[in-house]
Amino acid sequence: MHMTELDGAALTLRTLPEPMRRLRAIPDASQARTGAPRAEGLAVEVRGVAKAYGKRRVLEAIDLRIAPGEFVAIVGRSGCGKSTLLRLVAALEHADTGEVALDGAALAQHREDVRIMFQDARLLPWKRVVDNIALGLPGPDGQRRAREALAQVGLAERADDWPAVLSGGQRQRVALARALVHRPRLLLLDEPLGALDALTRIEMQQLIESLWRTHGFTALLVTHDVSEAVALADRVVLIEDHGIALDERVHWVDRAHAGKPRSRRSRIACCSACCANPPAPMAKSPHPCPASKRGAGRSDH
Amino acid sequence: MKAPRSLRSLPPEGIVQRGLPWVVPVLTLIGWELASTRGWLSTRVLPEPLAVATAFWSLLRSGELWQHVAVSSMRALAGLAVGGGLGLLLGLLTGSSRVLETLLDTSLQMLRNIPALALIPLVILWFGIDETAKLFLVAVGVFFPIYLNTFHGIRSVDKGLIEMARSYGLSGWALWRHVVLPGALPSVLVGLRFSLGLMWVLLIVAETISAQAGIGYLTMNAREFLQTDVVLVGILLYAALGKLADVLAKALERGWLRWHPGYQVQAA
Repeated sequence: MHMTELDGAALTLRTLPEPMRRLRAIPDASQARTGAPRAEGLAVEVRGVAKAYGKRRVLEAIDLRIAPGEFVAIVGRSGCGKSTLLRLVAALEHADTGEVALDGAALAQHREDVRIMFQDARLLPWKRVVDNIALGLPGPDGQRRAREALAQVGLAERADDWPAVLSGGQRQRVALARALVHRPRLLLLDEPLGALDALTRIEMQQLIESLWRTHGFTALLVTHDVSEAVALADRVVLIEDHGIALDERVHWVDRAHAGKPRSRRSRIACCSACCANPPAPMAKSPHPCPASKRGAGRSDH
Repeated sequence: MKAPRSLRSLPPEGIVQRGLPWVVPVLTLIGWELASTRGWLSTRVLPEPLAVATAFWSLLRSGELWQHVAVSSMRALAGLAVGGGLGLLLGLLTGSSRVLETLLDTSLQMLRNIPALALIPLVILWFGIDETAKLFLVAVGVFFPIYLNTFHGIRSVDKGLIEMARSYGLSGWALWRHVVLPGALPSVLVGLRFSLGLMWVLLIVAETISAQAGIGYLTMNAREFLQTDVVLVGILLYAALGKLADVLAKALERGWLRWHPGYQVQAA
């Protein structure tokens, strides 16, 4: 059943008209950052993590490994514990059992390398946009770095505005800039686009993807929107019944793009159901379809 | 903001719009002046407005007025500084520490229900009738609004913002300065405005009991000599000072809460 959901999402994505994705030219982040060193992404390892609130079990025996620089999306119904998992990785909550390691070290050792983006932008309303981004930045060049980060998300001219006058999408861009200015090696995204309208979402997805490609951080996205997960992530993890029910790699299948930076448009979710009758380019896909717990049984290619 | 724009675009109607609120006060003044000069109104009840103005002018010229205003203002500000300062401090403490809240808040809430003016007999017994008594009364009165609103302000700072700031590496004083204090500020300023209103009420009562200087002394002294015009000058001075305090508090709000959507109407 989850397979069909993913299929549907992939189909929707493929059928999205191209002009809608290009509504607004996103400033090319790779140009803005030439010369700046690429931060190495952090490896995330979740081992046997369980979490309960009182008697209510939320997560049980979660094992998840994320490679450095990978983009992983966690999907699931609301209340399934996907946000809790993210908050555990962000050290905002503590696991009852099990542990989360970043590059093999405890969470506390990487506090400066991990930044989180929340569903609500959580900008300080009493600080101007640029000061919000400079929040917690050490050193005298905080303002300059904040303005640079703001330019990367295309809002340079709003630096001296109050957050209250920004639109929802602009606030999330500022929140993204605030996270990126710390040069995180792991960026956690807790449904950051959940409250945005469809067009703004697509814009933000493109922005996040292009910044992820430029900066090379590891990204962990929590979303209830399967099509968003497929559009952005290398891997989609489905959480259901307190555990990981599905862990699938997302493949891009367009022959023209093989070996080049991927494009959202050419990707579809590779899951057992669709692999059963693979389109021709699939054979040249750089990522072989991994045998997943559920997928393996049904996969017949 | 709509009204001024329509004033500019429609000048004749604008003058009417702007003048209308003043019609009743001006007519009242004229009626009062007429009633006094015709002898319908005894000067023992109310002096004519012109006499009040003359009394004001002569007090101003002799310098007596400034002296009394200065004495009263100093008392008010000293009481506000002591009471408001303590209220702010205790509010910050109980607002940020559960232990201190449990320890202090119940006691303070009980004390809050005692009207400050009910303390007058006790205050006279403790401090006599000199400056300390007045300072104490004003301080007690302004303490509670500032305490309560500071406490409430700190407790109602968005938990999400605090969580965000912590995960962005802020802690201790930095967290206070950037998140908790600015978040509590709107509420603290509401407390300040309440306190300013109470401050003048308490000062008037305290100065009426006994004083050797100040606006209260001026009016009580004038009462002895049936100088209703000077009494009225005193009353109007209290009104003006109260209004001034409120205007200053509003200016503070506008300055410190520029970020707040509620104060951005004028700027936009």
